[in-house]
Amino acid sequence: MVLRDCRPGSHVRLSGLIGSHPQRRRLLELGFVPGAVIQVIGRGAVGGLVVGVDDARLALDARTGGSMVVEPIA
Amino acid sequence: MAVGTRRRPAPCCPPAEAPTAWRDRTGLSARIALVGNPNVGKSTLFNALTGAQQHVGNWPGKTVHVATGTLQLPGAAAPAQLIDLPGTYSLVPRSPDEALVRDVLVDRSGSDRLDLVIVVVDAANLARNLYLLAQVLDTGIPVVAALTMLDVAVTRGLDLDARRLGELLGVPVVPVRPRARGGLPELTDAIERAVATSGRPRRALPIAPLGADIEQALGKLIDRITERSAGLQPVSPRWMALELVAADDGVAPPEAAADLMLQLRPDADRVRADLAGRLAASADGLLAGAAELADLADTARADDLDGDIATAVAERRYEWVHHIVAAVVHRPAGQRPTVSDRVDQVLTSRWLGVPIFLAVMWGVFVATTRLATPLQHGLAAVVDGPVSGSVRYLLERVHSDQSWLAGLLLDGLINGVGQLLTFVPLMVVMFALLAVLEDSGYMARGAFVADRFLRLLGLPGRAFLPLIVGFGCNVPAIAGTRILSDARHRLMTSLLVPFVTCSARLTVYVLLANVFFGAHAGTVVFGMYVLSIALVVLIGLALRHSIFRHHPREPLVLELPPYRMPTLSVVGRQTWQRTKGFLRTAGGIIVVTVTAVWLLMSIPLAGASGGFGHVDVEHSLYGGVSRVVSPVFAPAGFDDWHATGALVTGFVAKEAVISTFAQTYGAQKPGDLHQAGDLGTQLRASFDRAAGGHAVPAVLAFMVFLLAYTPCMATVAAQRAEIGGRWTAFGIGMQLTVAWVLAVVVFQVGRLLT
Ligand SMILES: Nc1nc2c(ncn2[C@@H]2O[C@H](COP(=O)(O)OP(=O)(O)OP(=O)(O)O)[C@@H](O)[C@H]2O)c(=O)[nH]1
Ligand SMILES: [Mg+2]
Repeated sequence: MVLRDCRPGSHVRLSGLIGSHPQRRRLLELGFVPGAVIQVIGRGAVGGLVVGVDDARLALDARTGGSMVVEPIA
Repeated sequence: MAVGTRRRPAPCCPPAEAPTAWRDRTGLSARIALVGNPNVGKSTLFNALTGAQQHVGNWPGKTVHVATGTLQLPGAAAPAQLIDLPGTYSLVPRSPDEALVRDVLVDRSGSDRLDLVIVVVDAANLARNLYLLAQVLDTGIPVVAALTMLDVAVTRGLDLDARRLGELLGVPVVPVRPRARGGLPELTDAIERAVATSGRPRRALPIAPLGADIEQALGKLIDRITERSAGLQPVSPRWMALELVAADDGVAPPEAAADLMLQLRPDADRVRADLAGRLAASADGLLAGAAELADLADTARADDLDGDIATAVAERRYEWVHHIVAAVVHRPAGQRPTVSDRVDQVLTSRWLGVPIFLAVMWGVFVATTRLATPLQHGLAAVVDGPVSGSVRYLLERVHSDQSWLAGLLLDGLINGVGQLLTFVPLMVVMFALLAVLEDSGYMARGAFVADRFLRLLGLPGRAFLPLIVGFGCNVPAIAGTRILSDARHRLMTSLLVPFVTCSARLTVYVLLANVFFGAHAGTVVFGMYVLSIALVVLIGLALRHSIFRHHPREPLVLELPPYRMPTLSVVGRQTWQRTKGFLRTAGGIIVVTVTAVWLLMSIPLAGASGGFGHVDVEHSLYGGVSRVVSPVFAPAGFDDWHATGALVTGFVAKEAVISTFAQTYGAQKPGDLHQAGDLGTQLRASFDRAAGGHAVPAVLAFMVFLLAYTPCMATVAAQRAEIGGRWTAFGIGMQLTVAWVLAVVVFQVGRLLT
């Protein structure tokens, strides 16, 4: 499952980043490290996402949301 | 900053072209830099500590240059230098403003080095802020942490133990309230103590350990670097080793190593003569050792962590960070979503996000036009009335016969200043609205919502604002491109703004549409707006696929700051600063051009009756110029000096187009009976004549030209201030070409149809 497919309101755990995202390293540095808990807060009109990592809120586009492999937290 | 808007391959960002005045340290007791994530309150703290006026607001990426100020520490003989830096998420830069931070921190050697870094830490977002702090620790520069946003953390129910945080980090941690100047004495105390001890060798620097395996590999590298750089006072060997092992995959390790080695060599001219030989020799040795180091780094990468050491380093740092956060932050059980989150669920939602965004933009547009208009009229009335009146009165008393002087002062200078002043309310309203949008936090949401659409043109979402403001007036719109942090985006937006049809152009459309289209006037005017939007999109696409072809397509990763009540002081100060900037940069040009047009209208052509200042427009130099230019518009159907004359004034200000029409027709000698009657009849007559009976396509061509060519001298002035003379000239060339070609097409096609 990738982050893009998650429903707003859900909490998921990041397993890793797939593909060659040009900002791979920056995403890691922003807290998108394997094991991080991501909170899906909202979803925009064209697949963009608003997510929470730690205490920060970030807007991601669909492509970035599609490059994050996540698993649901029970 | 918009994390997603710029990319340069790390770690080789060239040093940003920053002013280097900050390097001069004569008369300063210490050099201290403020470092932190974007939007954590660095500039607010800087202003509070130094009394400066740096731009603050509530979106990431405001500060893009180095700002310096002085700070008098209680016990020091001389003041210390304080440096405000752009915000950054990491010391491995991805954009020019981030590279600036890296350069100030780790590219320096010898006397350039910082004595202390104040890491500004957002208490409401501790984890990511501590990640950067960990990187700063690795540079080996002494650190004091200033903890901001504690109020925000409290409203979220977070309970933070600052003392414990200091113990765990191994650096002093001082809670501050920069907006209320709270905690500043404690901070200066901590700074003073840290500076006093910063020169002394210390037993162990605090670091964020990365785990036994990585640390072991790093240790080997660090030893080698230390050994090689003896006598060179390099930046921290640990930092260099980390940059070396964790170099981005795209960059070959030997290159990165050579890069680092070069950084070890101080600028030749700054090396003292007796040291020069030794330094040069060891620098050569270092270069020779680069390959060896690279090998070692390769081994370190391969051995320990299946290749991806960048991930591993980030992961381990976050492990350290989360360990500390867990120890110092107590969260309420069963956390409820924050107010910001609930607002965001509406403002960025799938169905409401776009309509709300459009409504906000509409509001900005209406306000910049409606709110400003009465103020503009008021100002104009004061300039035309009391000011002109008293000058005229004074002139009459002093030189009653020197009417050219009266002309110069009244029709030239005062008229020019008056035009400039009428822009001021517009600018104030627009800048105030932008400041409110910025300081509330909506700007970042708007950028997210609009991102998808503007991305088609290669622009970030935030570029929507200047484009919308342009419908009111292009001048503040171009000044407003400053909200974009990337120079290339500012440039492209500035080139597009003139194609946005402003309200001054609207007055001309309305007049002509009423004269020529009667009942269909509304449709024609609406069509002009549609055409304007189409032009922006098409020219944007054309630019994107030609000059700006090499703009990398960046995915969007954008931080959304929490919503905040805009403060009057922030909004007021920013409005004032930006308006002042506009007056300073654009003021001169506007006044000079208006005066120049007056001069042209006053100089009689050879053989004309009447002296300087007493000639009618047709026989002035102005009329002459218009007639010379006129034939250019023959293919567009309006080879007529009245029309051309109006376009020439329109180059200065579209507000003046109608008055020029009136003036030029009014100035016709009596006896031209076929052009008698009101302005409308005369206009119809001259378009009819110029177009050989096809007045309707000709006037449409005229309106299209008016839409697309250079909006006014003030726009040119604003552009020159933002993107420089050469790009401004390019822009004017593009506008004239597009306008002329479109006008010719409209007329030629229209002539066939009518
Ligand atoms: N609630 C609260 N707001 C603060 C505090 N400190 C600063 N602010 C606000 O935070 C916003 C950002 O402040 P700036 O000083 O512009 O931040 P910066 O770190 O210089 O930002 P960049 O230059 O973009 O990196 C402004 O709206 C400030 O008024 C604080 O302690 N509490
Ligand atoms: Mg700042």
